[in-house]
Amino acid sequence: MHGNASNSSDPRRPDKEHRYRPPVPTTQAAPGEDLTPDFMNILGMIFSMCGLMMRLKWCAWVALYCSCISFANSRVNDDTKQILSSFMLSISAVVMSYLQNPQPMSPPWASVLQ
Amino acid sequence: MKKILLIFVLLGTLLLLNPVTCREDIEDNEFAEFEDFEEDEEEQPIRDTQDTPGGSRGRIIDQDDEGNEDDDVEDAIVEDDDNEHLQDEEEFEGFDTDHVRGSGRMDDRESPKITITKVPLHFRTNWDSFYLEMLMIAGLVVYSINFFTGKSKNNKLATAWFNTHRSLLEENFSLVGDDGKMENENPGLMKDSENMYTLWCSGRTCCEGMLVELKFLKRQDLVAVIAQLMRPSHDQVHIKIDMNKEDMDSFVLCVATKKTALRLSRDMADLSVYCPERRSVDKYGLPSNFNLMVEMGEVASALLDSRVVTMINKYADLVDYIHFSDQFSGPKQPEDTTLTKLPETKKVLLFGFNIPVKGRSVNEAMEQMRPLLQLVFYCMEKVKRFRLSKEAKNKAEKNRLRVEEAFLKTTHAARAEAAAARREEKKRQEKERILMEDDPDKQRKWEDRELKRQMKKKAPKMKQLKVKAM
Repeated sequence: MHGNASNSSDPRRPDKEHRYRPPVPTTQAAPGEDLTPDFMNILGMIFSMCGLMMRLKWCAWVALYCSCISFANSRVNDDTKQILSSFMLSISAVVMSYLQNPQPMSPPWASVLQ
Repeated sequence: MKKILLIFVLLGTLLLLNPVTCREDIEDNEFAEFEDFEEDEEEQPIRDTQDTPGGSRGRIIDQDDEGNEDDDVEDAIVEDDDNEHLQDEEEFEGFDTDHVRGSGRMDDRESPKITITKVPLHFRTNWDSFYLEMLMIAGLVVYSINFFTGKSKNNKLATAWFNTHRSLLEENFSLVGDDGKMENENPGLMKDSENMYTLWCSGRTCCEGMLVELKFLKRQDLVAVIAQLMRPSHDQVHIKIDMNKEDMDSFVLCVATKKTALRLSRDMADLSVYCPERRSVDKYGLPSNFNLMVEMGEVASALLDSRVVTMINKYADLVDYIHFSDQFSGPKQPEDTTLTKLPETKKVLLFGFNIPVKGRSVNEAMEQMRPLLQLVFYCMEKVKRFRLSKEAKNKAEKNRLRVEEAFLKTTHAARAEAAAARREEKKRQEKERILMEDDPDKQRKWEDRELKRQMKKKAPKMKQLKVKAM
């Protein structure tokens, strides 16, 4: 009956090992999942496009911040290319805004005070 | 905390300084116009005194006896004398007087239009006005500093937890740490993100495996850090044990703090179905801030024995929830998804503990949590040995059957529709297959068969009765 070689008080069973199966990533987000990096990625792209098209400097800066937040919240198995491209897009938006108009950014409260 | 205050002080001083310097610049510029005038005014009296040195001297000499008129006359005479040689054309050789007069006349006729073009402020000459850009860059620098400090702090916490609990884990499991690849190349703690670490342990009696998730606060994201100041939460350890089918009986039990209990009873599929009400824990000797959700009372009294109760009482602020279930299928699916089959259920033991980071060193905090992992193993063994009484078992079986029937009823229409769709699809595929075939005979044969089948279906169903011949 007690034919197994392992000590009866030792709970380990090397023959009963199960390998770890990472949860399959589904297209639908699981309810507990954090959507911040994806959301910030899209927001960053939208702001950088606005900054480029409408030559708004503050849009470009906000896009850069969104890319940074998305990077900070990203998971290890997320696609780095997407985050990198978002970064590049926001940096190009900032640079282009300043090349086209080297004036410093006017704060939004300046227009209110005038 | 100190770091955050430093950051705020930095940002605040930057904000305050820049408008002040801006205002000074504006003031300087406002008075710039007047500066020129003052210079002119200063110059003119100097010029006057320079022009009439003789005149002033003349005044001093003649002060005693004559009035101003005499002085003016004397001055005028002097001036005339000075300018006479200028009017004499012979004095100037090779000078084109016509040209000068001509240009002079042109000047009199039209005043040249002077337009001041707006030159954009150059960065190198006037970089004080770029204060908003500098503020933005300062913000980015602060964010990146916070990213690296937060990341290292979370990493430190994770490695401290692993090192503290490693011996206990290696005593209980033959496989500690699995990276999920074909060959277990990097055994140990795995990083999911900068604030999430997982550890898979396997190779033990009574369970298939244990997944430990270390969910820390998002210290690497400054926005999350600021949100954390407004709505504080804890670093948590979530332990999920997949029990063997034969090692756990059919019951559902959950002990949790009030807030967590509310959330779990609302979100978890098995708790919302099998444990509809939240009971008080006074009967079992647990602290009053806990709630109990259990399918049958005897389960709670059997599993919440004295040892478990003392542990929970001792570490009341560290225990978030303890959830045992044989019908666990995760959180409830959102309303709009239609299911044709009941979601798969597993037998699991779930534990959630808070990590006491505040006011302690990292290692101290992890040492304090070690007994909780021992509690986990104790509960595992207890659940393995626990068996329901006969009535309780029957009741549990009845509950589960009832739930299944209810589910089948609600999804009956959906299932019928799905079955009909499947049949249609099958027929269509067969028809396509027949049409593809080149042989016309075969096609005809198949069509005849189909027609017969249709006629049979349409014809009323009649039962054939055999009458015995008398």
